[in-house]
Amino acid sequence: MFNSSYSSGNLSYSERIKRINYFIIFLILVLFSFGLLALYSVAEGNFNSWPKNHLYRFLIGLLLIFFLSMIDIKLIFKFAYPIFFLNIIVLALTPIIGTEVFGATRWIKIGGISLQPSEFAKYTLILALAKYYHSMQYANTNSLTKLLIPSVFVIVPTLIVFIQPDLGTAIVIALGSLSIFWAAGLSYRYFISGGLIGLLSIPIAWQFLREYQKERVFTFFNPERDPLGNGYHILQSKIALGSGGFFGKGYLDGTQSHLNFLPEMHNDFIFTMFGEEFGFLGSIFLIIIYLSIILLSFRMAIASKSLFSRYLSIGVTFVFSLYVLINISMVMGLIPVVGVPLPFLSYGGSSTLAIMGGFGLLMNCYINQRTNLERGDFF
Amino acid sequence: MFDQKKYISKSENTDKQISRRTMILSIGVTGIFALMSSRLAYLQLYRHKDYKSLSDENRITHRLIQPSRGVIYNAQGKPIANNIESYHASIILEEVSDINKALESLNAVLPEKQIDIDKTIKKIKKSKKFVPVQIIDNLSWNEFAKLNSNLYQLKGVFPSVGYKRFYPEKDSHAHLLGYISDIAKEEYKENPFSKLNNAKSGKIGLEKSLDKELRGRLGLKSIEINAFGREIRELKRIEGKVGQSVQLTIDSDVQNFCFDLLKGLSGSISVIDVNTGNYIALASAPAFDPNKFSDGISSSDWQSLLDNKYKPLINKSISSYYPPGSTIKPLVALAALESGINPNETFSCNGKHEVEDTSLESGIKTFHCWKEDGHKEVNMNKAIKVSCDVYFYHIARRVGIDKIAEVCRRFGLGDEVFDLFYEEQPGIVPDKKWKRATLGTNWLIGETLVSAIGQSYFLSTSSQLSLAFAQIVNGGKQIKPNLIYRKDERDIKIPTLLAAQSHLKILMKALDNATNEPGGTSYRSRILGENKMAGKTGTSQVRVITEKEREEGIIKNKDLPWNKRDHGLYVGYGPSDRPKYAISVIIEHGGSGSKAAAPIASKIFKFLFRKKMDIKQSVIKNV
Repeated sequence: MFNSSYSSGNLSYSERIKRINYFIIFLILVLFSFGLLALYSVAEGNFNSWPKNHLYRFLIGLLLIFFLSMIDIKLIFKFAYPIFFLNIIVLALTPIIGTEVFGATRWIKIGGISLQPSEFAKYTLILALAKYYHSMQYANTNSLTKLLIPSVFVIVPTLIVFIQPDLGTAIVIALGSLSIFWAAGLSYRYFISGGLIGLLSIPIAWQFLREYQKERVFTFFNPERDPLGNGYHILQSKIALGSGGFFGKGYLDGTQSHLNFLPEMHNDFIFTMFGEEFGFLGSIFLIIIYLSIILLSFRMAIASKSLFSRYLSIGVTFVFSLYVLINISMVMGLIPVVGVPLPFLSYGGSSTLAIMGGFGLLMNCYINQRTNLERGDFF
Repeated sequence: MFDQKKYISKSENTDKQISRRTMILSIGVTGIFALMSSRLAYLQLYRHKDYKSLSDENRITHRLIQPSRGVIYNAQGKPIANNIESYHASIILEEVSDINKALESLNAVLPEKQIDIDKTIKKIKKSKKFVPVQIIDNLSWNEFAKLNSNLYQLKGVFPSVGYKRFYPEKDSHAHLLGYISDIAKEEYKENPFSKLNNAKSGKIGLEKSLDKELRGRLGLKSIEINAFGREIRELKRIEGKVGQSVQLTIDSDVQNFCFDLLKGLSGSISVIDVNTGNYIALASAPAFDPNKFSDGISSSDWQSLLDNKYKPLINKSISSYYPPGSTIKPLVALAALESGINPNETFSCNGKHEVEDTSLESGIKTFHCWKEDGHKEVNMNKAIKVSCDVYFYHIARRVGIDKIAEVCRRFGLGDEVFDLFYEEQPGIVPDKKWKRATLGTNWLIGETLVSAIGQSYFLSTSSQLSLAFAQIVNGGKQIKPNLIYRKDERDIKIPTLLAAQSHLKILMKALDNATNEPGGTSYRSRILGENKMAGKTGTSQVRVITEKEREEGIIKNKDLPWNKRDHGLYVGYGPSDRPKYAISVIIEHGGSGSKAAAPIASKIFKFLFRKKMDIKQSVIKNV
């Protein structure tokens, strides 16, 4: 009776295409264009290296958005758990079948393409949690027994990624999932006591951190400790941003970046490079676009009727926010360097595909906002 | 139905709750974005200036540019200290594929210059990979050519050309010019060149005295560098100033001639133009090759220079002082003339002169003449000619030490001649005041007598004695001693006269007789012909001859160990009738002045007289 008139099966493809939120696609395109510009500058005016690959990935990402927007939401709902479990299995197998880069095994090769299962885990976890809470009475959320399964859902991928080691991704996976618990009505008490437990468990987690990760944390709290070693990068990043001033040093004229004072310019530190060349004006414009996408996405999330769509959209949006917040805070010296890319600007295949896949899911929920989904359909 | 209603209301409730929580979430995210933006504003707006300067410090570095060192020319205008190209082999690490192999093939190309591969690799690894590292210094031209023609098999190795200081006259000009070597730690503060990698500074001689002028002023270039220190481009350049070149009054022909005469001896010769005050030669022996320092002297070579008892590193014409002995007598005679003593007054010399001395048991102290049986009746002219000590004992007692000291100082003794060299010594002209100030005791009459024959506390340098004689024979004109040739500073002003012409004539006649009349102390070294030399011998004792020794017979110089023998001195001028040059020759522990020094002076004068003719001819040719 409830799923009569608005089931997705009733929507024609042309209708679905019509319902796409093109404004958010436009904002993404703007961000991507900035990314292309920045990467062109990083590559010293060579389009054929990073910018070209970035463009290809983005085009694949656009196809992914389109594909995920068009498929039946019931299909996504139905396969939420299998997709998540598959991801966990691949993630668990990564140390065995993966390739090691810079002392961390994060990549697996499929065909000629290297993918990071951990990047996708952020989103598949959201899928699984959304489905789990969709099937639950809102009032039951706070029962401890009902909290057990979702906690396992979160802890397993977080731990695997943490051990890889990839602190940044582990933090995004864990924090990202919190948005679903929050939206699903978990009491404030849990968040407060959870935060306390988190604080208390830091000493334990500390022992699992690799030497370089500890160094990064030390360095964050005291950058002058080693200005030529670990503190060097964050100091140089701040110098680059600060020296950019209001208008910036001009496109392709960033001295900090082009004279190699910045690390990982094409990746984690691309915002620094952008800020040096385009100044406060360019950076704040970029930040406003990010914020607009986030607020718009949250609004799209509440528009959905089904809980699954809502939770999924909120999770996707929050994970996206985390990428932006952590990356920019990191390069400005607000938090330790943990290695999180900046969406659409950083050169990274898996993260770009995962993030765009996330927007595909969000778009699908938005298109099918009126669709009702049955509860309790586990597999 | 009821259930359904209930479910709907519940669902609406849930709806609201989720919307509220999403709202809180988006507010939270927006809040963090605001925080982030304010951090951005803090960095890019508030702290912009600080970070801007930090960024410039990062990318801009300043490199000093070393100017070329000034050249030193001799009087003829020929360089005697200049900069010549030196050849090296360098390596740039990043251009080498296999460093071991590269060094091995370099050893194969230059087998004479075998390099220690392990040590060299260590040295190379210390530098940045794009900076050329010098691995072989001082290649000969042939080796350099060989390196160049084999470059095709030495990837990463580069021939490089630098500059080094070169002294074409080698050891003959060594003390005068000095040498340059690495800047010492003590100099770091005042020498800006110490900031350079391989800069050197003058250590002795003119290279040290004129170091500031010779080295010039550093240039500076600002360059942009990347994080690895590689030069990207030059931003700004402030040109330095090339070192100032100087021309000396030294005539290298005369200098070399003098130096050759000192071969095998320890001593010095100075030659001065009596009219201009220009020093034409300042030779000291033994010497060293200053070029060895330019290449970096080996420690064994350096040690042997330090250990050599003839002190090859000391410039004996300005830094070594000796009792002037009898060469002081013309000045003592002048003091007597100025005190009103009649030059024709005679004193009787029986070989000794006795003075009351209550401190002695006998109550009498005896002072001897060098001639045991005495010179009989002696007037001033004869006293200078035969160098009678007793005559001078007599007049010294009448004149007093203070007057003698005053005349000596007036003619330049007891003061630095050049006021240029760090190593120059002023010597000592003793008088009553000096003794009280330095030794704290009163002057003794016996000391006046011994001072009158240039012993006791008297100490003079070779260049001082030549200056004193120059001023006696040039008509008493006070001259400014020169080593650096100054074109525009001709003596136009009326010169100060140091003594009465009548007095100087008496001295010059006596000095002429001492060399050119039979019985004169340097008669055997006289020059026959139109141009003659004239002058005074001196023999300065370095030991005290006791009464006992005198009774048993004085040991001859040749029977004494080298360092106990007398110094032989001769100070003279020529031509005797129209003086142009004054010369002083001091042979350390060479025996008597008439045997050791006068013959050398004679040869130099002959050379100078001949040379003068040569110059005249060449001047005529030019016209």
